[in-house]
Amino acid sequence: MSDLTMYLTNGVVMGIIYALSALGVSLVVGIMNVINFAHGEIYVLAGYFSALFSVSLGIPPLVAIPLAVAGVFLFALVVEWAFIRHTYGNEMKSLIITFILSIVLQNAYLLVFGPFPKKPPNWVHGAAHVFGMFFYSNQRLVSMLTAVGIIAGFFLLLHKTWFGRVMRAVSMDREVSAMMGINPTRVNQVSFGVGCALAALAGVILTPIFPVTPTVSVGVSLTAFVVVVLGGMGSFVGCVAGGLILGIVENLGAAYIASDYKHVFGFVILITVLLVRPVGLFGQKRL
Amino acid sequence: MYIQKGNRKWLGWDQKRWLWALLGVLAYGLLPLILDRYWLHVSIMILFYIMMASSWNLLAGYTGQISLAHAAFAGIGAYTSGILAVKFAVHPLIGLALGVLLAALLGLGLGLLCIRMGGIYLTLTTLAFSEIIRLVINNEYEITRGTMGLKVPVLFGTYSKVTSFYVMMAAALLVVFAIRKILYSDLGMSFRAVQNDEAAAASVGLSVFRIRIAAFVITAAMAGMAGSLCGHYLLLITPHIPSLDMMFLVLAMAVIGGLGTFTGPILGAIFLETLAEQIRVWGEFHVLLYGLIALAVVRFAPLGVVGSLNERFSTGEGPRVVKESAS
Amino acid sequence: MKNIHGLWKVMVLALALSMLFATAVYAEDTIKVGVVGPRTGGAAATGKAFEEGIELALDRINGAGGVLGKKMEVVFEDTAGDPAKAASGLEKLITRDKVVMAVGESHSSAALAEIDVANRYKVPLIIAEAWHDDVTGKGYKYVFRAGPANSGVVNENIIEFIKDYGFKKVAIVAENSDWGLGIKELAEAGLDKAGIPYMTVVTERKAQDHYTELNKIMNFEPDMLLAFVYGFGVHYLIAQANEIGLVPGKALILEGAGPPSLWPEFWQTVGDAGNLELFVSRMHSEVQLTDVAEEYHKAYVEKFGKEPSDYKSRSIFDVLLIAADAINRAGCTNSDNLVQALEKTSLTVGSGVVEFGTAKGTYAYHQWQPPMLIIQWQDRNQVVVYPREGATGELKR
Repeated sequence: MSDLTMYLTNGVVMGIIYALSALGVSLVVGIMNVINFAHGEIYVLAGYFSALFSVSLGIPPLVAIPLAVAGVFLFALVVEWAFIRHTYGNEMKSLIITFILSIVLQNAYLLVFGPFPKKPPNWVHGAAHVFGMFFYSNQRLVSMLTAVGIIAGFFLLLHKTWFGRVMRAVSMDREVSAMMGINPTRVNQVSFGVGCALAALAGVILTPIFPVTPTVSVGVSLTAFVVVVLGGMGSFVGCVAGGLILGIVENLGAAYIASDYKHVFGFVILITVLLVRPVGLFGQKRL
Repeated sequence: MYIQKGNRKWLGWDQKRWLWALLGVLAYGLLPLILDRYWLHVSIMILFYIMMASSWNLLAGYTGQISLAHAAFAGIGAYTSGILAVKFAVHPLIGLALGVLLAALLGLGLGLLCIRMGGIYLTLTTLAFSEIIRLVINNEYEITRGTMGLKVPVLFGTYSKVTSFYVMMAAALLVVFAIRKILYSDLGMSFRAVQNDEAAAASVGLSVFRIRIAAFVITAAMAGMAGSLCGHYLLLITPHIPSLDMMFLVLAMAVIGGLGTFTGPILGAIFLETLAEQIRVWGEFHVLLYGLIALAVVRFAPLGVVGSLNERFSTGEGPRVVKESAS
Repeated sequence: MKNIHGLWKVMVLALALSMLFATAVYAEDTIKVGVVGPRTGGAAATGKAFEEGIELALDRINGAGGVLGKKMEVVFEDTAGDPAKAASGLEKLITRDKVVMAVGESHSSAALAEIDVANRYKVPLIIAEAWHDDVTGKGYKYVFRAGPANSGVVNENIIEFIKDYGFKKVAIVAENSDWGLGIKELAEAGLDKAGIPYMTVVTERKAQDHYTELNKIMNFEPDMLLAFVYGFGVHYLIAQANEIGLVPGKALILEGAGPPSLWPEFWQTVGDAGNLELFVSRMHSEVQLTDVAEEYHKAYVEKFGKEPSDYKSRSIFDVLLIAADAINRAGCTNSDNLVQALEKTSLTVGSGVVEFGTAKGTYAYHQWQPPMLIIQWQDRNQVVVYPREGATGELKR
């Protein structure tokens, strides 16, 4: 029984963090109709920055983290200007260009940061005796709570602020929004930045637990895509639901069926969803 | 011979172009006489990449289905013939045929899976398929020897680089010629019709369904053959063949050469693979270099080298596809 | 249209020229020996260690007159621990760089691919640190190993260590590579023979999350955890084993390769959980078995300004000495003569006195097993705990 609880706990923790990562993808897809294959690389960049700032430069973690996210945000703006803007409306092009970009970034990280895992220091140490049944890393718990906080914050932003309203408007209907005076290019730019910032936040939250290497980015991207498809493109609630489902299924599957096929569960889910209900659980738009 | 006098064309080229092509082929065929073992090896790998890039181009450049599963099909071909040869003592030539068949069948399956999906979903599905294949190959190391690599026998006879060269060359010529023939057949015309405007194509009675699936099956079979031949040449099959790294190389070759052109992938394969060997001293960073070149090409010259040249000098004919759609 | 023809002509010509140019060989007055090893990838730190050893070896060899009157030159080809790269890398060394001999390697899967290439081209290959029995067990005439074999490490060191210190229940975590699976099987056989209960889990070299497997291990309640993972996956294993309270309180962990516990990133990723971790090694600053070892230590500190910590730097140093010695005794670079000379080797190197086995049929053919140590991290210091005769401290639990 304690085993099952541990797997479920791990599933929920990972699930929430997957959801955070997927929010970034969903935002960019919803507003810009662009799937960012380089999503994982953005996440990893944030991880590298936070490790770099706190370990090599000795900046205290509380400062290093927002700094890392800010750095990635700026990087995202540059990427949008240089590559993404050019591909609006052409799905094939944005696919190819972001795929190539992801490979370029992976190899660039290899060159700049080396093949070794980089890790910022843990925010908290030790393990908690959860439910009196098993030990669980404190860092994982804290990371999960932070992710919950950010997700809640994001929903607040979306529904209670002017900026959130603008994003929702553009996501619903680009043309009409443009007619209403919203500058679509500016919105795209900022949305891409925010989407990447969300990925970056997921990165800084998770890197103390799972250090980043140049190759983990592929797994991150794929997980995010699975969650977005599962939850439904364009639906943020779907991201949360999808993330939790994926996290739990992966962990239970790994524990009870086969641990080396952990990631296959996600893909099987992806394909099943696309076959049976392509809009996903909560999706409204079809691409 | 179908080549007529005057300006008549066969499969899109006039006599002069065909003579040039023939010259190129003969020149390439003489390479084993002048190259040392090392560069001969490179020229064999170039043939492999020509097959992969050209067949992927047929699928992505001509029917618009950006599949990331191409390398996986090569892996399926390679591991099928490899495992059959090693575990069941099946002659590699038979294994090759079976590998191609299995790749074609799985291509059919994947095509069917993707049939109702548009751009992004299709790519994601092919990506998921590719990763599943790679994971299975990695994890079932009892059968496939996973990352340790599967040692396989030579395709036939005794091992010789020169023989391997001519076998690969024959296969590459077969693939390339088949692609040319397809492009200039009714099927090929349909490919381009479907890519340009699905609704219009359907309205004139073309079965979009069948065409997209046909593309998957044919190109998967080609990739399977290429993969199997490569495996039995290297005498070692590893999960590098069905990997995203390999997929990226193939994609980069096709894109830089010119997606949607005939000679683009061929030139892309030759150029990039030769380049790889020249900068091999930089180790893994040649992938970064390719990536940067590919990025620059897609950003500034999206039609690729051959595509851009065609644009500049063309007389308006040729099997190019107009890919830019209105925003 | 003529413009395109012109362009194509130029491109084709350029390619042909560049290829021909590349085949031009310019004569040099050196004897080339190839080194294969992971310069990139997860074990790139081993590649760095190799680089250091190569430098020191060349200093020593060329300082003593070189080989056959000429300077020895080393070409270090990256294999990244991948069998496909290893095979093509060795082929390149042989066909393009025309090395007279090749040495090195630290990944069994890569080595197993290389031995086929070496045998096919009939070029001697001396493996330094790939431990799978089959490397020499296959009985290839041109392949030698001046380094540990899994059988030797397991039977002479690990099992004896476990028996000596009275560990009662063992959990094995092995990576799904040639080395990992090979050594796991031998460990299981050895534990069977010693009558010690065990359980086994197989994992990926690079896997990051071991919670599920560690949970199963916790339920088994072992007091010794054998980790046969040659990559940073083992760092995560140790850190997470510590998090769930398994190590070091309930069990001690023995890392069966060595270098991962010596890589600079070890303390970063593992933190204090690395204290009391055990690992296999072949070198310790207080245990100098030969005067060559002393000389190596001195030269290392002088050249690099720090203590040598990764034993693989000395392993490659040793095999290069063996190669130079064989070439000099053979008096020529003919492969068969080199093989004969190698078989007659009796040379003092850093790790001991090298003599290759000549009895065919087992992994002992063309194999030399160096003496191995088991070392424990105690407050970030390396303390030898096995064999007892060479111990520099007590085992702490």
